[in-house]
Amino acid sequence: MSTQLKYKDEESDGEISGRSAEARVITVAVAGNPNSGKSTLINAIAGTRLHVGNWAGVTVEKKEALFDFGGRKIRLVDLPGTYSLSPYSQEEIVARDYLVHERPDLIINVVDATNLERNLYLTVQIMELGIPVVMALNIYDEAQEKGYRIDGKAMEEMLGIAVVPTSATRKTGLDQLLDTALRVADAPKQRVPKKLNYGEDIEVACDYLAKSFRTSYPALTDSYPQRWLLLKLMEQDSHVMRELDLDDLDFLDQALHHLRKAHGEDIESIMADARYSLASGLTREVLHKPELRPTEITEKIDKIVLNRFLGIPIFMAAMWLLFKLTFDLSAPFGAWLGSMTDGPFKRWASALLTPLGAPDWTVSLVNDGVIAGVGSVIVFVPVIFAMMFFITFLEGSGYMARAAFVMDRTMHAIGLHGKSFIPMLLGFGCNVPGIYATRTLENPKDKVLTALLVPLMSCGARLPVYVVFVSAFFPNNSSTVIWSLYVMGILLAVLMGLIFKKTLFRGEAPMFIMELPPYRMPSLHSLCVHTWEKGKHFLYKAGTYIFAVSILVWFLLNLPWGVEHKRDSYLGQAGAVVAPVFQPMGFGTWEAASSLISGVIAKEIVVGTMGEIYAPKKEEQAEVPTLQEDLKEIGVSFGAACSKAVKTLLYLPVPEEKEKDRSALKQALLGVFTPLSSYAFMVFVLLYMPCVVAIAAMRQEFGTWKWAVVGLGYQTALAWCAALIVYQGGRVLGLGG
Amino acid sequence: MGIADAIIAALLVGGACYILYATLWKKKGCCGCEGGSCCKK
Ligand SMILES: Nc1nc2c(ncn2[C@@H]2O[C@H](COP(=O)(O)OP(=O)(O)OP(=O)(O)O)[C@@H](O)[C@H]2O)c(=O)[nH]1
Ligand SMILES: [Mg+2]
Repeated sequence: MSTQLKYKDEESDGEISGRSAEARVITVAVAGNPNSGKSTLINAIAGTRLHVGNWAGVTVEKKEALFDFGGRKIRLVDLPGTYSLSPYSQEEIVARDYLVHERPDLIINVVDATNLERNLYLTVQIMELGIPVVMALNIYDEAQEKGYRIDGKAMEEMLGIAVVPTSATRKTGLDQLLDTALRVADAPKQRVPKKLNYGEDIEVACDYLAKSFRTSYPALTDSYPQRWLLLKLMEQDSHVMRELDLDDLDFLDQALHHLRKAHGEDIESIMADARYSLASGLTREVLHKPELRPTEITEKIDKIVLNRFLGIPIFMAAMWLLFKLTFDLSAPFGAWLGSMTDGPFKRWASALLTPLGAPDWTVSLVNDGVIAGVGSVIVFVPVIFAMMFFITFLEGSGYMARAAFVMDRTMHAIGLHGKSFIPMLLGFGCNVPGIYATRTLENPKDKVLTALLVPLMSCGARLPVYVVFVSAFFPNNSSTVIWSLYVMGILLAVLMGLIFKKTLFRGEAPMFIMELPPYRMPSLHSLCVHTWEKGKHFLYKAGTYIFAVSILVWFLLNLPWGVEHKRDSYLGQAGAVVAPVFQPMGFGTWEAASSLISGVIAKEIVVGTMGEIYAPKKEEQAEVPTLQEDLKEIGVSFGAACSKAVKTLLYLPVPEEKEKDRSALKQALLGVFTPLSSYAFMVFVLLYMPCVVAIAAMRQEFGTWKWAVVGLGYQTALAWCAALIVYQGGRVLGLGG
Repeated sequence: MGIADAIIAALLVGGACYILYATLWKKKGCCGCEGGSCCKK
């Protein structure tokens, strides 16, 4: 890595090192404003699958991609987006620290061509780092559609850096960008960005400062890019001042003396103004917008979606639609997988194991343990993937930022601002990325509070539990019931936020500034790629720790060896000890209790364990189908599932099937739960402690167990109370017991 | 249950515990590739 190289004087030769140019890995940092398409660009160039989304703050930590181009090795470093090099939030600090301290060979500055002026404000600062810069004028396609004409040549001349128009989504201009990048990286000394003039007063002060600083702190000039450091010193950038920890600031006061006299005390604003006027001057020179501008589709949609009164109802309706589509699309495939795991898979496992001389109990372990346990979870893969598909669509469309905007007022009531709602929305996919996404919040207090609320958002892993119960007890209102649970999660998050605000986290939320990107139609390819990226970790879980737990649960259900009733097994006994706790909520059975205990590892395991507990006793079938018959049946029923999904989506009548697809698990649950107690159970699963991975993420993010323990405790208490209120309240209202 | 069975059972339980240890404890679970949260840096 080239990280240890020292900064050289801008006037010196700038040669990188004596290593042969061919063999060296060229490190290219990709930096720019949030939502300018950095991650999309890297995905398009290097074939990676970095997370992209149409809102500011998707990437929260640095990611690398290594690839070959023209026989050369290039390492692209994706950085979180930042508006300036004076960082406010944690992920901006990551970007700034990388650019300032790790010295990449080259910076590709990704600039959103539709927002030139705002983006150039950062470009001006990046150019001060003394590293060669190539500008990718990205989202060029949209700029052209708007009728913008951007004079790239003029920009190259004024800035002294190469400018290449690109479209990351359409994959145009990428080869040219890389060619240019290689050329610049190989001859860095001819390609140092121009020194932009901040105006006479600032430049004079800067020169004076340069001299006095070089004599007072000669060592420091080596470890920072010089001009950048001088300008930051003049701004008295708090981050830099803290890093440098200078003991004597007299030289700074002297340098700034005249500037203060002429322009007032607030040098930071003077510098910012100077940069803004550079950026806007440049923009004026190079950008030609059409005179007449038609009202854009984004504005039209926003008039409705961001309406004061309609905003929240529209958000709720969008969520309901999301569940409806998820459910309609995936239910037939879930049933199809269920019929496979219940029938053919178990038969095939026995047929394979028995001739090998495997003991009977291992056959039972595979069938009633692994297939019943993992299988009960695998059945929900279609639901989870469908859900992730629609979430990916929402992320790419630009609606996320709107949802945050709409919720801003509600969030202010709990001392947070709308931006906190984005980590919560991400939590609908999986809570863990939601917890990490709190990095985009500037205030540490907001971060912790938001991370405590994220686990109340119902993640994909809880979906299997809902789907099992809903399809057994509420087959006609399935999406509405599931939707109600998600909404309950949000409402309780607001309630808990209020309580936390009154107790642990006092204080007002700062102003909410968040850009609203234009609506965009994600491409089918990117939808599929990112759905897969989101969904595959559920498959990974099923293949690793859910698999492991299903084996352990089988042993716990069958020990002491030869136990007659599962109730008397170790798991049964443990469940029976805990069960009374759940009695007031209507599910005080050892089965429910032990499922909830094992579900702490991952919430899907609640269903997996129930699948094992309620696995049917092996029945002697009169006629065992042959392999061909099984395969044929699988194919035929898959076709039927496809047609059913399509018909449901198109609102065509679907012939009522006889309940032959009703799985053993559903059948068993119908005998133990009532609709009311099943709802209380779902509420409990929604709210009770976060899974171990989410707890570990909190620990890692905050560097202490404290908040993980607080989260765990309050959630379990909340779950107990909420389920109790649902069950007892429902009984009082005569909704059955 | 014979000695052979007991050994197989012990191996299976050991294997399952190892998977739990390796994926949950050592790798801190899979946090998903999305959301910039992947554990592998
Ligand atoms: N039309 C068009 N859209 C683009 C282009 N490049 C990126 N986008 C869209 O811009 C949005 C933002 O893309 P990202 O790659 O996530 O942006 P980023 O710069 O990595 O954003 P942060 O990680 O938040 O800093 C996505 O919706 C992309 O589909 C482009 O060249 N043309
Ligand atoms: Mg990004």
